[in-house]
Amino acid sequence: MTATAAAKAALARINAADYLLDAFITVTPARAMAEARAVEAGFVSGPLAGVPYALKDIFDSEGVRTTCHSRLREDHVPATDCHVAERLRLAGALLVGKTGTHEFAIGGPSFDLPFPPPRNPWDREHVPGGSSSGSAAAVAAGMVRFAIGSDTGGSIRHPAAYCGVAGLKPSYGRVSRRGAFPLSFSMDHVGPLGWRMRDVAEALAVIAGHDPLDPGSADLPVGDYLRDLEAGVAGLRVGVPRGWFAGAKGADPEALAAIDRSIALLREAGATVNDVTLPDFARFAAAGRVILAAEAFAVHARELRARPGDYGAIAFQRLALGATVTGADYVQAQRLRRELTAAVDDALARFDVLLTANVLIPAPRFDARPDAMAAGAPVQMIQFNLTGHPALAVPICLHSAGMPLGVQLAGRAFDEATLLRVGRTLEGLSGWEAMPHPRPR
Amino acid sequence: MASEDEHAFDMLMTRAGVAVDPARREGLLAAYRDLLAATTLLYAPGLGEAEPAMVFRPDPLGGV
Repeated sequence: MTATAAAKAALARINAADYLLDAFITVTPARAMAEARAVEAGFVSGPLAGVPYALKDIFDSEGVRTTCHSRLREDHVPATDCHVAERLRLAGALLVGKTGTHEFAIGGPSFDLPFPPPRNPWDREHVPGGSSSGSAAAVAAGMVRFAIGSDTGGSIRHPAAYCGVAGLKPSYGRVSRRGAFPLSFSMDHVGPLGWRMRDVAEALAVIAGHDPLDPGSADLPVGDYLRDLEAGVAGLRVGVPRGWFAGAKGADPEALAAIDRSIALLREAGATVNDVTLPDFARFAAAGRVILAAEAFAVHARELRARPGDYGAIAFQRLALGATVTGADYVQAQRLRRELTAAVDDALARFDVLLTANVLIPAPRFDARPDAMAAGAPVQMIQFNLTGHPALAVPICLHSAGMPLGVQLAGRAFDEATLLRVGRTLEGLSGWEAMPHPRPR
Repeated sequence: MASEDEHAFDMLMTRAGVAVDPARREGLLAAYRDLLAATTLLYAPGLGEAEPAMVFRPDPLGGV
């Protein structure tokens, strides 16, 4: 298929299904076709030549509005691309649109914003998760093979889990955040969501790398994420921090069964799987929530004072909350962060990867969703934003109610290749690789 | 009568200069109480007592 044909096909899929899903805030046919013509003319060539993708609408895109799904930036049109869009353009990828998010990547799903919230392609009455909601929905519905998201407390892995796609939060510093609207400077990560593990690996290979203009960017060699993707898991050691999720309040038995099934599959494939004891999840969550709240308030303080009514109710609540964090709280959270990071590093000295829960329930209905930011919420992803280790959402099966379930893998810092290898193995052994795209209903 | 944590909440919001619409106050106050409860975990004995964090370490001028 030519690049222009690929762009037209993706735009047609968006046109056919997005009126049901609201995955996109802005569709960019002119840019997609221009990038496709550049590929066909030979001006651009690369590993993603002619592959359409979508970009969460907190990432700057030259000449295309970047709203953060908020009234405050409804008409904001950046003059330049964000770093990941620059890299993807040079690799030949085609930007077909900007996807819906929680407001400023924290406030949602909301119905009091200028744009509707994205919906879950497996069932439109259910939330897609967030905050990279539209990116996950667009991938799950087959509009694009991969999309870019951001993850500060689980915002790639949460919608990936609810929508049944693969989603990777790389190591802190692996992918530049330049041109992405910040939420929490020390917790923000940028990464890909893909229909298949290979899509995630291919996208990561393009967007990973040092950027001197992002102070958090790591100047370290980029791994080969494709070489060992099909190598299997024989001989690998998998640790299971069962204490995090086994007795978690409100956990759906089928979600826990999906974890047990994944463990059994890895054992059958030759991995050694053992439980590992780590500090309580509540400690990770407490430190992560305090740091996130304080840093997000620092980003938004001026606008919260000047234009509080222009924020949606959920974003206002979660952002203004940071005003209540004291300096001592923030410092103590950073001290605890070092101890908890060391504990995870110790575990990963004995294990190649950790396998744990990501969400403890399947995607709930819009009218019955719990507060994902509250203590005891049925989501367990913020621990790896706190520690910076890479973490991957892997879809495994469908819940009896028809919504996806999966597991979370975490690995050593900058060893995304092993995570993707284990994820690819689970994708194959679980049978998820044969799962067709859902038809929005 | 406002409780002690409500007074603290109102003081912190006033100090921050953030005006809270009455329609949004109850939700934000509940979130504050939830975060306050989690914050106690940061001060648990034996955690973070000896370990300094975010220590500032300037690089010598000229890379000496």
